[in-house]
Amino acid sequence: MSPIALIVLIIGAPALILLLYIFIKGSMGLRRYILTRIGLTLPMIFILATLVFFVMHILPGDPVRSALGPKGTPEMVEHMRENLGLNRPLIVQYGVFLKDMVTLNFGNSLIGGHRPIIDEMSERFPATLELVIPASILALLIGIIGGTFAASKRKSASDYLLRIYSVIIYSLPIFWFGLMLQLLFGIRLNWLPISGRIDPVIGASLHRQTNMYLIDSLLSANWPALGSVLTHLVLPTVTLGLILSGVFVRMTRINVIETLQADYIAAARARGIREQVVVYGHALKNAMIPVITLIGLQVAILLAGAVLTETIFSWPGMGGYLVQRISARDYTAVQSVITMFALLVAIISLAVDIIYSLLDPRVRY
Amino acid sequence: MSSTEEKTPNSKSESWKIDLQQAGFVRRLFQARKWYGADWWFVAISTAMVMGFIFVALFPGMLAPYNFDQIVGTSFLAPGEYPDLPVLITRSDSTIKTLRDLAGPDNTEPSKVGVIQGSPSAVAVNEQSQQVDAQLVSENSGLRLRPRLQRFVTAKELLDAVNSGQVPVGVTNLSEFNLLAADYPNLHSGSSITSETATAGGFALGTNDVGQDVFSRLIWGTRVAIIVGFSSSIISLLLGLPLGLLAGYFGGTFDRLLSLVMDSLYAFPGLILAIAITAVLGPSIYNVIVAIAVLYIPTYYRIVRGQTLQVKEEVYIEAARSIGAKRSEILWKYIYPNVIPSIAIIFSVNVADAILTGAGLSFLGLGMPPTIADWGIDLARGQRFIQSAWWLITFPGIAIMVVVLAFTMMGEGLMEIFNPKLRER
Repeated sequence: MSPIALIVLIIGAPALILLLYIFIKGSMGLRRYILTRIGLTLPMIFILATLVFFVMHILPGDPVRSALGPKGTPEMVEHMRENLGLNRPLIVQYGVFLKDMVTLNFGNSLIGGHRPIIDEMSERFPATLELVIPASILALLIGIIGGTFAASKRKSASDYLLRIYSVIIYSLPIFWFGLMLQLLFGIRLNWLPISGRIDPVIGASLHRQTNMYLIDSLLSANWPALGSVLTHLVLPTVTLGLILSGVFVRMTRINVIETLQADYIAAARARGIREQVVVYGHALKNAMIPVITLIGLQVAILLAGAVLTETIFSWPGMGGYLVQRISARDYTAVQSVITMFALLVAIISLAVDIIYSLLDPRVRY
Repeated sequence: MSSTEEKTPNSKSESWKIDLQQAGFVRRLFQARKWYGADWWFVAISTAMVMGFIFVALFPGMLAPYNFDQIVGTSFLAPGEYPDLPVLITRSDSTIKTLRDLAGPDNTEPSKVGVIQGSPSAVAVNEQSQQVDAQLVSENSGLRLRPRLQRFVTAKELLDAVNSGQVPVGVTNLSEFNLLAADYPNLHSGSSITSETATAGGFALGTNDVGQDVFSRLIWGTRVAIIVGFSSSIISLLLGLPLGLLAGYFGGTFDRLLSLVMDSLYAFPGLILAIAITAVLGPSIYNVIVAIAVLYIPTYYRIVRGQTLQVKEEVYIEAARSIGAKRSEILWKYIYPNVIPSIAIIFSVNVADAILTGAGLSFLGLGMPPTIADWGIDLARGQRFIQSAWWLITFPGIAIMVVVLAFTMMGEGLMEIFNPKLRER
């Protein structure tokens, strides 16, 4: 079974079952909300796909010529155009493009072994997941703890420090931050590896099932591999996670401050409940709701950050693949990766909105 | 807000509430501190920084010691490290500054130059004198430079000779001189004889892999950052603002369709879209500006539309409409002024974002053509030498960070002033 099918099964199947359960058990309003939201996702996917098509096919610039380089004879150009279907009318190309997207059939890569692009992507997608998931968890942890702490100690030194932290983090170029971490921990101190996902020697012994090395090494109880995977994971995760955390600190802080001024908080304080319980028990729960919508919007930053992080750390994920294929002028692969990113964005924002509606019963159409 | 108003004296809170509704852009900026304690100095400092960067971007030649593509010294010199070139050693009171100063009329006694026997600097003196001599002849100046070399065995002997006035000038490698310099307070090392640009002071931020001055490239790189940041933000503003106003004011199918498109665009990872656009269009500063401008149209659109929707329901708009004001008049005179403060905030944050995205594109090799001085390109080039030359990847990144920080801070400061609700006291 291909790794991507496994991952779709691991993540997709429970999500689908959960969605069905919510749909059946939920109230009328919730059901209508979920349906409308799914109804809105389809045009969004359509628009994003159209955008990708526009960029790749209509903007000036000839992918075939640049792929063949100066050595390409007119016959070769003509032949390649025909193979890629670029000599057909635009409207037909557009139809084929949409059909390919729905069936996830992206054609073959233009370089190397001319393998199906979906296979190449399914090898790399798990790597991206392995980077993005821990990074998001790290960012959320820092964001929620830091933001709540800053809000509870308003106007104190630590509040100002955390605010400065979030502004500076926002201004940090992620690729530079990654390089600095490499310089310090990888080269000066020599504590951590600075590129790749696993030590190549240890990696040879790892039985790959899902291509998420963390899961693979756990499944096969390969402890040296697990150690190597973990040490390789530290720097990329910290790079991506810290960059994301700035926004979360900021949003959590503002929301907790707002919530702390609500009447029910005053009432809780009046009842003599300890301040800590008021902040972390009562206020945080409500303050988190808007932060969750924010997570949906951060997916864009997360994916863009992943592209840069993967490039710096030679991480063989989707972002690294995209950059590598752009420099190889593999135009079909570039188009497919970007379409894939568009699909991901649409699906994740749908998921986040559904979770949001579950947490906050006021969100209904 | 209710709890805060009770705390302040009634008269005071009343007065600023009234003022706020009538206050214009500039007045708010200067009165905000008095009214509700927003820190205008935050805006002032960041504005000064931004102005400074714009100045640097406009006149990089004034501040940068060298041109950005000029090869000025040995490659991979660390910050402050002396390029180990042959330099002139003279007494501090000597008038001789360059090799050319030693030239004299054809018939006079040639001047003496002390060198160390068999050292590379001795060879350099010969070669360089011949060059200068040829130049003097071609200029018909009547002067010739044919120095007589006086050879010493050790650097110490040479320095002693210069110190005692036995020879007017000596030539050694800078490192040799620096080893003994403490013993000869009267001597000083002048400029290099082989390269006019390589000063004895070294390069403040070092040199890169081909021997260009990192500091000069940093200064010249400001130009690209500021141009990309401002031009792309202005384009997004010019497209996003009118679209947002129209969509918010007229509503209907036009609004719904446009909002759907804008929301989709907003959700899409900006950098990835920019990567796609520049990958198709090819690397050039115009393509980068266009690619980044497209990304930020939705930001303006969403905010302006939201504000328009809000303002549209106000009583004074209804009043204007009832006395027969034209639609264009309502849009321009009543709604548009209300969105200016938000625009100022988004604009400065947008410039910051655009600079970051532009640097990211260049870092990936998709932004600027490699002949332009750009921080992203410098970082990408420096990454290859991360093991040996830390300064190549450190300083361009700091430059990006500081510029982005200035614009972000300006946005933050403006936000505090125009959005006092966020600042419950």
